[in-house]
Amino acid sequence: MNFFAYLKDRLPAVVILTTGYLIMLCFFGGYHSGGEQVCIISAVYWLTVLAVLCAEYFRRRRFYNKAADSLKGLDKKYLLPEMIEKPAFYEGLLCYDLICDCGKSMTENVSYHKRQADEFREFIELWVHEVKLPIASLSLMAHNEGEAGEKYTEQLSRIDAYVENVLYYARSENAQKDYIIKETTIGRVFKGAALKNRESLQQRGVTVTAEGLDKKVMTDSKWLEYIFTQLIANSLKYFSPEREAQITVCAEENDNAVTVHFKDNGIGIPATDLPYIFEKSFTGQNGRLHSKSTGMGLYITESLCRKLGHKVSAESVQGEYTDIMISFGKNDIYRPE
Amino acid sequence: MSRIFVVEDDKAIRDELCELLENSGYEVSAAHEFGDVSAQVLSSGADLVLLDINLPDANGQTVLKEIRKTSDIPVIMVTSRTGETDEMLSMSSGADDFITKPYNPMILLLRISAVLKRTQSAGAKTTYRGLPVNAARGSIGEGKNEIVLTKNEMIIFSRLLSSGGQIVSRDELMTALWDNEEYLNDNALTVNISRLRQKLTDAGLENTIETRKKQGYILL
Repeated sequence: MNFFAYLKDRLPAVVILTTGYLIMLCFFGGYHSGGEQVCIISAVYWLTVLAVLCAEYFRRRRFYNKAADSLKGLDKKYLLPEMIEKPAFYEGLLCYDLICDCGKSMTENVSYHKRQADEFREFIELWVHEVKLPIASLSLMAHNEGEAGEKYTEQLSRIDAYVENVLYYARSENAQKDYIIKETTIGRVFKGAALKNRESLQQRGVTVTAEGLDKKVMTDSKWLEYIFTQLIANSLKYFSPEREAQITVCAEENDNAVTVHFKDNGIGIPATDLPYIFEKSFTGQNGRLHSKSTGMGLYITESLCRKLGHKVSAESVQGEYTDIMISFGKNDIYRPE
Repeated sequence: MSRIFVVEDDKAIRDELCELLENSGYEVSAAHEFGDVSAQVLSSGADLVLLDINLPDANGQTVLKEIRKTSDIPVIMVTSRTGETDEMLSMSSGADDFITKPYNPMILLLRISAVLKRTQSAGAKTTYRGLPVNAARGSIGEGKNEIVLTKNEMIIFSRLLSSGGQIVSRDELMTALWDNEEYLNDNALTVNISRLRQKLTDAGLENTIETRKKQGYILL
C-alpha cells in the first residue's frame, strides 16, 4: 500500500479539513488573537489530522499487505479467503465478507461440476462394460461363421480398441485410484497385448522380437497391457512400405530403473514434432500425411504412465525408427519382504 | 471328451459360446436360470466351468466360493470389466484362470485346454504311438531313441497331440506359440512344422503330421 496514493484517495476529507481550518482562521482574525496562539492551535490541528490519517493508513495497510502477501504465496489463489484474518475496520470487513461469499459460491460451483464429471465418468465406464457384451457376442458369431466371419473379426477388434481408448481416457483423466500396483513380469504383460493384436500384426507381416523381458517391475498389468496395445497400434499405423516391418521389444536394467524399449522400424517422427508427441490432440506431420490420427493415443499413454509413476520418452530418426522408452523406477518400499 | 458347463446370462453370448465349444469338440451344457448356480454346477458333472462374474441374482465370486466349499472342479472366470481388482478377487476365491470379454475365441480355447490339461494330466503320462512325451525335457521317447525337440517344436507337438486327432488350424498353433512368448511369423511356423515332421521321420515315425489344405494340421 502506497501512502501518497492513500492520501490522494482521502482528498475530499483533506479538502473539507482545510476548508474548516480556513474558516477557523477567519474567526481567529475576527477575535484579534495573537500570532502565537494561532500557530499553536494550527499545529495541534494539523498534527491531529495527520495522526488520524496515519492511524487509518496503517490499519488498512496491515490488512491489505498481508492479504497480498498470502496471495503471492499461494499456488491455488482461490484459497485466499481461508488465509486472511478478519480485519478490524468496517470497509475491510465488508470486503472480507464479499470475498468469502464469492469463494463459497465458487467452491459450490466447482464441486457441482466435479460431481457431474465423476458421474459422467462412471457412466462411461458402465457404458464401456455394457457395450463389450454385444462386441463379445458378435466376435463369437464371427468366429463361428468360419472363414466368412474373418472380415468381421477385424472390424470388431477395431471397435474394441476404440472402446478401450474411451475407457482408459476416462481413467487417465481422473485422479481416482482404480489401479493396483504389484510385481509383474514385463514379458507376461507384453504377451497379452501381442496375442490380442496377433492377427493384425501377422496380416501386416510384422516380425516381433522380444528380448530380456523376464525382468520384474512394479506396475498395474492391465494398464501396462493397454499401453503396449497402444504402442503396437501406433507402429501398425506408421510402418514404412519400403522394408520388412519389425517390432523389437527389449528391457535393460540398471541400479535405479528397468527400461523397456519398444522399437519399430517405421517411418519415424520428424525431429520438429518429437518434443510434442505426448501432448493432447497433437497429430503432427505423420498424423496429417499418413493416417487418421486423433492425437490421443500417446497422450493417454503418457498420462497413464505418469499416474503409475513410470517415465515415458521417445527417440526417433525420421525414415528409420521410433523407440518409445518406458522406465520403471525401482522402489523397494513397495516390495513385500 | 471333456464336458464344459457354461454360466452366462447374456443369451446371445451363451448360444454362440456353446456353438464355439461344440465345434471345438467339447460337450457343452449351460445354465438357463441363475437362482442356484452352484448347485447346478455341482450336479452337472462337468470337467470345467466357464463362470461369468456379473449374474442377475448373484455375484460370480460368491458362486465360486460356494462351489469351492465342496468341489475342486476347474473354473475359468469371465468378466466384461477391465480391472485388476476382479482378477485378484477371482483368483483368491479359487478360480483357475480369468479372462476378459470380448475374448478372442482362439485365446479362450487355448486357456480352456491349458486348464484342462493342467488339472487332468496332473499325474497321467502322455504318450504318442506308445512313446512317452516329456514336455519338461522337450523330448519324445526314451534312451537312445529319444527325439529331442526345440521349445517351439514341442509347443506345436503338444498342441497337436492334445487336440486328440482333430484338425488344428494354423491360427491355433500361432496362438499357442505366442502364448509362450515365442513370436513366430508365418514362414517360421511352416519351417518349424517341416523340421518337426523331419525329426519324427528320422526317428522312424512315418506319416505323423498331415497338412489339410486351408484348414490346418492333424497329428495321426
